[in-house]
Amino acid sequence: MTKTRKLREEPTSLMGRLLRGAYWYGAEWYWTVTGGILLVLIIAITIFAPVISPYDPITTVGGPFERPGGGQVVLLAPKDSGITAVQKGLKVAVFYNTTAAIVAEKYGLTPRPYQVDKDLFAKVRAGEAQAVLIAARDAAQALADHQDFVQVGKPFGPHFLLGTDNLGRDILSRLIWGARAVLAVAILSALFSAAVGVPLGLLSGFFGGWFDRVLSLIMDSVYSFPGLILAIAVAAVLGTGVVNIAIAISVVYIPTYFRMTRSQVLSIKEELYVEAARALGAKQREILGMYIFPNVISTLVVVFSLNVADAILTEAGLAFLGLGLQPPTPDWGFDLNKGKAYLPRGYWWPITFPGMMITLVALGFSLLGEGLGEILNPRLTEE
Amino acid sequence: MRSLGRYLLIRTLLTIPMIFVLVTLVFLILRVMPGDPVKSSIRPGAPQEYIDEIRHTLGLDKPLYVQYGDYLWDLLHFDLGTTLSPVRGQSVAKQIWEHFPATLELALAGMFVTAVVGVGMGAYAAHHRRSVADYSLRLYAIIIYAIPVFWLGLMFQLIFGVWLRWFPIAGRISSLAMAPKHITGLYTLDSLLTGNWAAFKDSMMHLALPALTLGLYLSGVFVRLTRSNMLQILKMDFVTAARARGIPERTVVYRHALKNALIPIITMMGLQFALLLAGAVLTESTFSWPGLGRFLVERITYRDFPSIQGAVVVFALLVASVSLLVDVLYAWIDPRIRY
Amino acid sequence: MTEPLLQVEHLTVTYETRQGPVRAVDDVSFTVYRGEVLGLVGESGCGKSTLGMALLRMVRPPGRISSGRMIFQGRDLMQLSEGEMRKLRGRHISMVFQDPMTSLNPLQRIGDHIVETIRTHEPQVSKKEAWERAAQLIQRLGISPDRLKDYPHQLSGGMRQRIMIGIGLALNADLIIADEPTTSLDVIVEAQFLDLLRELRDEFNLTMILITHNIGVVAELADRVAVMYAGRMAEIGPVHDVFHRTLHPYTRGLLASVPSIRLEDGLELETLSGAPPSLLDPPPGCRFHPRCPQAKPVCAQRVPAWQEIHPGHGTACWLYAEEEA
Repeated sequence: MTKTRKLREEPTSLMGRLLRGAYWYGAEWYWTVTGGILLVLIIAITIFAPVISPYDPITTVGGPFERPGGGQVVLLAPKDSGITAVQKGLKVAVFYNTTAAIVAEKYGLTPRPYQVDKDLFAKVRAGEAQAVLIAARDAAQALADHQDFVQVGKPFGPHFLLGTDNLGRDILSRLIWGARAVLAVAILSALFSAAVGVPLGLLSGFFGGWFDRVLSLIMDSVYSFPGLILAIAVAAVLGTGVVNIAIAISVVYIPTYFRMTRSQVLSIKEELYVEAARALGAKQREILGMYIFPNVISTLVVVFSLNVADAILTEAGLAFLGLGLQPPTPDWGFDLNKGKAYLPRGYWWPITFPGMMITLVALGFSLLGEGLGEILNPRLTEE
Repeated sequence: MRSLGRYLLIRTLLTIPMIFVLVTLVFLILRVMPGDPVKSSIRPGAPQEYIDEIRHTLGLDKPLYVQYGDYLWDLLHFDLGTTLSPVRGQSVAKQIWEHFPATLELALAGMFVTAVVGVGMGAYAAHHRRSVADYSLRLYAIIIYAIPVFWLGLMFQLIFGVWLRWFPIAGRISSLAMAPKHITGLYTLDSLLTGNWAAFKDSMMHLALPALTLGLYLSGVFVRLTRSNMLQILKMDFVTAARARGIPERTVVYRHALKNALIPIITMMGLQFALLLAGAVLTESTFSWPGLGRFLVERITYRDFPSIQGAVVVFALLVASVSLLVDVLYAWIDPRIRY
Repeated sequence: MTEPLLQVEHLTVTYETRQGPVRAVDDVSFTVYRGEVLGLVGESGCGKSTLGMALLRMVRPPGRISSGRMIFQGRDLMQLSEGEMRKLRGRHISMVFQDPMTSLNPLQRIGDHIVETIRTHEPQVSKKEAWERAAQLIQRLGISPDRLKDYPHQLSGGMRQRIMIGIGLALNADLIIADEPTTSLDVIVEAQFLDLLRELRDEFNLTMILITHNIGVVAELADRVAVMYAGRMAEIGPVHDVFHRTLHPYTRGLLASVPSIRLEDGLELETLSGAPPSLLDPPPGCRFHPRCPQAKPVCAQRVPAWQEIHPGHGTACWLYAEEEA
């Protein structure tokens, strides 16, 4: 130990800094990065919804409750029928109200739908139709059962990666478009809350006195009230629509911003440089704008991110209770509300995927907020 | 002990402004905000006289300040008015009272699950700080908070109700005929008190999934609260001192430290109670649990304005009284605190 | 007085920090003899409290004992399992902490603290017996036995510190480590507490390591004194020798900064110039050289070796060593 030990040097490359962040902050760093990646993905989805959405989210494009991965149909004709391709006008036997029935119309075939009688092949043999159009996934079994039929051409028709809902709408497309509605409401409401809560908090903390006391009492009372119930009451009066729902949710979170801003102001107010500025004759307005507001901003970023997560969950909750956006706007919470009725019959896909999306988006904002919070404002307990 | 009595009195008096603000807020939302509750409750095209009559019975034709005075006066007498629809003229207070035990039962059961799961996992995470278990539990806390409670409930219904068929997915009991004699209104407790084992088993089976849903939903918050409290306590001198006396680590962490950490957790339960109620509203809707939350949502679809107002006011009163209760409990438990 | 109870050899405690490893205790060796009070002095942050915790093997992460041996009653503490070590804590080595206000569990009665300790180490003792032992004990410490039912917040600081000592005495601990036991007491209570300690030392033949920054306390109570600077041992010797035949310039500075001891000699009250070094990036050679009035070129280059100058009185300083080429 005769030489001065060198301290570890700060890396300068971008990658180096990213890894350095992981070393300094541990798990929080990965949380932040994961949250950020999730959000970038979600935002990309909302922006490119018209491009990446495979179908229109509000029209029936298949049969109800088409399973995930389903949608493709296949034409089966008797071996001796001479049918070699999917031709327009072909009379096909289909099950009533299935994707096959809808696809048949779309491809110019003439569907003969059957609802009660299950044996489509018997109908063809009886001459009521020329061929059978059934779901591609059932084709192998059907061909094994009916050796006198052959497959004509390749499977065709739509492809529903995540299946369809009770109205035969593509769930994937609804998820993609639903992201827009949810993000719009959540971010709008968070902006509303911040726009009201932050200025009130600044003024209240800065001026104090009875104004501060009354406002704090009101805000604390609202803060203590169950947010969702408050939002329900406001939404019940205001009615639906993106802006109305956003307002209903924002009422809930105004106190969050108010309290955060106020406590920040109270602690910053005492700091020396603000005292110094005051001693140098700075005006109140200048102190607020130049010294206090910039300090509040860093905390605001964290609170905003966490708040958007909460707002997403509240929006979904309202929608689940039937108080969200009105149909036909695709909305995850509303889809869950509708899907709930069909759950006892074992239709798992209409309720599984929208819930996952809500979780992922809320998680993205939560992780980002949590991680940033730990990094910007490391608590002593985590030293 | 006299000082505790004094504290009780002061604390109770301090609750009054909070209740006043909340009650006023409900009034402002339901009567002053744009949007007419009566008009929206009636089918379009109803005759104006009919609308006016309803407005008159509700006192909505009076000036706002008179309405506000009447509203406060009625509340002082626990008069929540009468219903508009689906049946006109029933006592709102009575209906709320009938729905209350179901919510209470669910909330208590959910709280129990939360306490066991959340506090246990939080203490464990703090004890094994920076271990894989700690990071997993912290991540669990974040993820469980991001999962919508009603979706969690739907998933449980799907897995345990529809696929595995272990539990029923709706209601409090298989048939009303089976319901135990009304003592407290909590089916599980009443059936236990009357020794009605069939009803006890049945109501427990019905309670299992909703309670698990609500409990897990809140557990994330409690993992975090417990963990951070425990970390603070574990750094305190008396913990080090206990270790230095050779007290086994398990005893130090789960007896000495956890007991100290529980006190602040109890106070924070006050704020989390609001979250519990919000969660209960959604859980009740998911599991067709006939409690206050479902009552509120159902009446919103009927646009039954007096019931909505009544239910929201009752929720406000619940929050205020629980926060009072928790503070009193805190003062009672912690030997250091006497006001 | 000559039978060694604890021999510490080349003990090093390292903290892994974000900026790199920090040696809070660096290659420290000393011996504690049965029946003596060893005063361990140094400025705050010199590693003396860490050393105290290391003796119980209770250094918290990110710190750890990176090397060295601690021979206690013939056994190397470093070789014991965690379970064996736990049984030793409280029973054979007991610790008294700096702040009596925070070192008792606020939710546990005073009596239960003592009873729990007794029954942890002697499970065969009944609750009632343990409670009676606790009552006798605190009576000896000048506290009424009915205070056993009190919670810590109902006791004064001095009382609590006596309770802490009592917990150590409850099991007749062979070694008591007292970490700044009087720092948070006011002057009169401190004097009473020191009197009590002196009485107890004679009555129970206590062996004690008294960690303090207060030379006055050492002068009153200690038989020998060990001076630490920046994680290293600077000087060890009998109190009288260290005070009157001071070897290390740091010890001299430390003594000069205490009013009551040296002012009568007509010397001016001095304070050491400069601040203790950052352990993260300590100066090379002797760590005291940047502040040392007698520093030589070699001091900045090589670490001085430990030397016994008088019998039982040693130091690590270049003033007493031949410089090798």
